[in-house]
Amino acid sequence: MEAKTTTTYSMWSLFRNCRKACEWRYIHELVPLERDRNLAFGTVIHKCLEIWHGGRELAPVLDFIDRTYVERAQNEDAKRNWHMATAMMMGYAACYPVEEFEIVVLEKTFEGGIVNPATGAPSRSFVLAGRVDGVVRIGDQHFLLEHKTASQVDADYLERLWTDFQIVLYSAYVEQALGIRIAGILYNILVKARLQQGRGETEAEFETRRDGLIAKSKTGKSGAKRRLPESDDEFQGRLLDKYTEPGMFHREMLYLSRDRFETLESELWELTQAFLDARRRGVFYQNTAFCFHYRRPCAYFPLCRADGSTNVIDNLYQKVSPHEELRDETSFEEVSAF
Amino acid sequence: MLPTKKSPPKQDLADLTVLVYGPSKIGKSTWCSRSEKALFLATEPGLNSLEVFHVPIRTWEELLAACGEIAEGKHPFKTVILDTVDNAYRMCSDYICAKFKIEHESDLGYGKGWALINNEFQRVLTKLAFLPYGLFLVSHSQEKEIETRTGKYIRIVPTLPDKARKIVLGMVDLILFCDLEVTSDESGKPVYRRVMRTKPNPHYEAGDRTGRLPETIDLNFQAFMEAFNKPAAAPRASAPRSVPAPGDGQDEKPASTGK
Repeated sequence: MEAKTTTTYSMWSLFRNCRKACEWRYIHELVPLERDRNLAFGTVIHKCLEIWHGGRELAPVLDFIDRTYVERAQNEDAKRNWHMATAMMMGYAACYPVEEFEIVVLEKTFEGGIVNPATGAPSRSFVLAGRVDGVVRIGDQHFLLEHKTASQVDADYLERLWTDFQIVLYSAYVEQALGIRIAGILYNILVKARLQQGRGETEAEFETRRDGLIAKSKTGKSGAKRRLPESDDEFQGRLLDKYTEPGMFHREMLYLSRDRFETLESELWELTQAFLDARRRGVFYQNTAFCFHYRRPCAYFPLCRADGSTNVIDNLYQKVSPHEELRDETSFEEVSAF
Repeated sequence: MLPTKKSPPKQDLADLTVLVYGPSKIGKSTWCSRSEKALFLATEPGLNSLEVFHVPIRTWEELLAACGEIAEGKHPFKTVILDTVDNAYRMCSDYICAKFKIEHESDLGYGKGWALINNEFQRVLTKLAFLPYGLFLVSHSQEKEIETRTGKYIRIVPTLPDKARKIVLGMVDLILFCDLEVTSDESGKPVYRRVMRTKPNPHYEAGDRTGRLPETIDLNFQAFMEAFNKPAAAPRASAPRSVPAPGDGQDEKPASTGK
């Protein structure tokens, strides 16, 4: 008997958004050679939160950040991320000195069948696997803990949480795996500060600026001083101040509707059938409306534009087995493509 | 209008689009000049030592005008060489900035300036590639630090900006990296050999969709043509289509209700 194929929410979500991208990732097992720095930062913060909630000690968290960005002295990106992660986690620890919840489990991986809602029969082709950030208890109710890093939290962002197909789906599987009823989701949102370290100005830049000010001045003089680069300590202090502001950390609790489970179970089944049909016929069509969905090209845009050119595959992509997010040891270093 | 039979794989180098890149003075232009009835669209000086047909190109408008004449077909040339494609991209950038009255690509906001440049660049190169002439694109090489999931390393890539590079890599049939191979002779002295690398490698970009070329070949046009004209291996045109997997369709009719 054939082993069932493990699938994840990421795979079904991508299949729903663009079948072609899904084919590149899950059939051809391709990912871009260069890793996405935005996703990498989010993954580092997830690991930091796992360490923090595991022991509520800041030292091992900061040690992990130091080790992650060990090349920060030579690399500007690493230095920027080190500053951000350090200030974010120090701010987080200060913001939540005492938690209202009790941790039941952290980084829980699960696997379960996909069921035909019409017959109740499990799929003979697929199982669904996933990983949740945690399960917490508040009073006598259990909630899934879901960490998110965001550039900003506005009304649209909060509205979108209600449409989070993934977490509602995961709740049902966690209920099966742990045998506890999940009342809702606790979203733990950390906002990325938009501050930049001041780079100062060169002597020539200062002269140009001062000349401009003098030209506008009625007295023909200017008291302008050259802007010096901001030191690491000054920048870290400014970031820490930023993380004392309200709104840099946000928690949102959503209660789950039981009816949503059934709707999502049905949708998931339909996706499996559409996938089987696409794979049988070898046709995974492109959804061009998704190419710039996040206001930047999809990871597979260069490949689609080149009609799957082997030159592009060989030089810009590499083969990586699917479902990296389920792997324990390296998951914080290896970043999901989506 | 619609085809009634499949097009055969391209057999003639004059049908192909080729990217040739490598360090300065290694012999890229000399190699290209040996191609059949070559016409250089010279966007940078450097052809002085070569006796070739060339059109000096100083602006994007001049390039468009030259391409227009080439497309008319009233000439004997069979291979068009854009030397260098890096400078052509810069001219395209200047052209778009002037057209939209901006000083810099980023002045239009939300990446619109870059998108306009890339679209114009791709439009012209694609049109050139569709003409019944070979198209050789020449570029210099640079070392780039690549950050992957497993670490960082240095890779040699063409000097085009990132997005333009991806456009060009997707268009071309051959990516030929000109390199200096160092070996030792019997007395231990280093021996330098100018080569072209034709297959992908973690440390440089290269590729051969025709499947005809050996991994390394002398930087010599005649040697290249001899290798290219040998009986072809299977061409590698694009990614294979998905094949049905065992078990497909099992879920359509569940064997039991499970209840």
